[in-house]
Amino acid sequence: MIHHCPSLGLVSRKAPLLSNLSVLENIALINQYHHGFSRQKAEETAREYLRRLDLESLAGKRNPQLLEEQRFGVLVLRAAMIEDSLLVLDRPFQMMPALGDSGFIYNVIASVTDRFRECHILDYSLNAGRYAGRIET
Amino acid sequence: MFTIVENIGNAGLHFSRSFWNTLSFATQILSHLLDHRAYNSAVRMVLTNQLYFTAVQILPLFFTVAVLLGIAFIAIVGEYLRSIGLFTFFGNFLMGFVVTEVAPFITVLLIALRSSSAINAEIAVMKVNKELNTLAVFRIDVINYLFLPRIISGMVSVVLLSCLFSLVVLASGLIYSGIFFNMSVNDYVTVLMDSASFFDLFAMLCKCAILGFFMAMIPIRYGMRATNELTSIPVAVLNGMVKVFLAIVIIEVLSLILTSLIAKLL
Repeated sequence: MIHHCPSLGLVSRKAPLLSNLSVLENIALINQYHHGFSRQKAEETAREYLRRLDLESLAGKRNPQLLEEQRFGVLVLRAAMIEDSLLVLDRPFQMMPALGDSGFIYNVIASVTDRFRECHILDYSLNAGRYAGRIET
Repeated sequence: MFTIVENIGNAGLHFSRSFWNTLSFATQILSHLLDHRAYNSAVRMVLTNQLYFTAVQILPLFFTVAVLLGIAFIAIVGEYLRSIGLFTFFGNFLMGFVVTEVAPFITVLLIALRSSSAINAEIAVMKVNKELNTLAVFRIDVINYLFLPRIISGMVSVVLLSCLFSLVVLASGLIYSGIFFNMSVNDYVTVLMDSASFFDLFAMLCKCAILGFFMAMIPIRYGMRATNELTSIPVAVLNGMVKVFLAIVIIEVLSLILTSLIAKLL
């Protein structure tokens, strides 16, 4: 899938944040590596998106210092840095088991709607109730 | 009898396979090293950080070791050369042995102790944490982004720190010979210049670059061998570090043989 879809922006427990980079650097890395942004410009863009989720204060923190919801938000922002991306959320409740319903997930996605062309959430059918009528099987 | 032959054959096959794999990995790294497209802003940022970790953070320890070893070497050998009436070879000793042999060896040992083990553990931890998977998902070339900066920084650090070690030892020699052998600065510099050979210095720089390359590449290769289990990290680091020390010894011996052969031919 990765090779067939270069614009894939995956949010998954199996693609964690790089632990030797800060939150800001993790998000900025995509623009630096793929779009040739300078470090300063990539970090400015990353900061702007962190601000949208009220996570700017986490910019200098690293992966182990984040709460589950904060980590999820950062993972979504990193995936959204891929231009015109196909955003795929792989079992979000596995990343945030304490979350009651999908409201938080949809709020996070809504903050980056300008960055992706499609968004898919993949989850187990046993979690269907937590998506409250928004699912498609 | 058959078992003994079988075991020898197995060990031979294992060694040659491992040697071949290391060389083919080195070739792969070299091809990326020469590709200018590899050096984007993200890679340059990692390279800067790695240079800081490898060549700058070690400076206080390195400088102390260089001063202490430099004084010890010069005091012992200078005194011995004087006692047997061969003090005229003092310059040859400094340039032909300390600068071209001891400096790269001590430098690579110190950097390997500090940075090779760190690189090995870092790559193994990234493998266990599935962070390499992240790089694959986001189409970030693991060789360009993770390996090249560490290898380039290893090469640059060994070359620069060997030169620094040589300078510190030569400065120690200047002070020591001034105090104990009443040698003037002018005489000392003349002795060194007479003993310096462009070929030896060039060979020393090449050896440093090769040592730096393998000192960083081997830990990366062994770090990548970690499995998904935490317990595989110490095993990967242990194997990597043993192989780094083997590689240092092999490179030292090969460089000695090669430089003597070339010197004979010239």
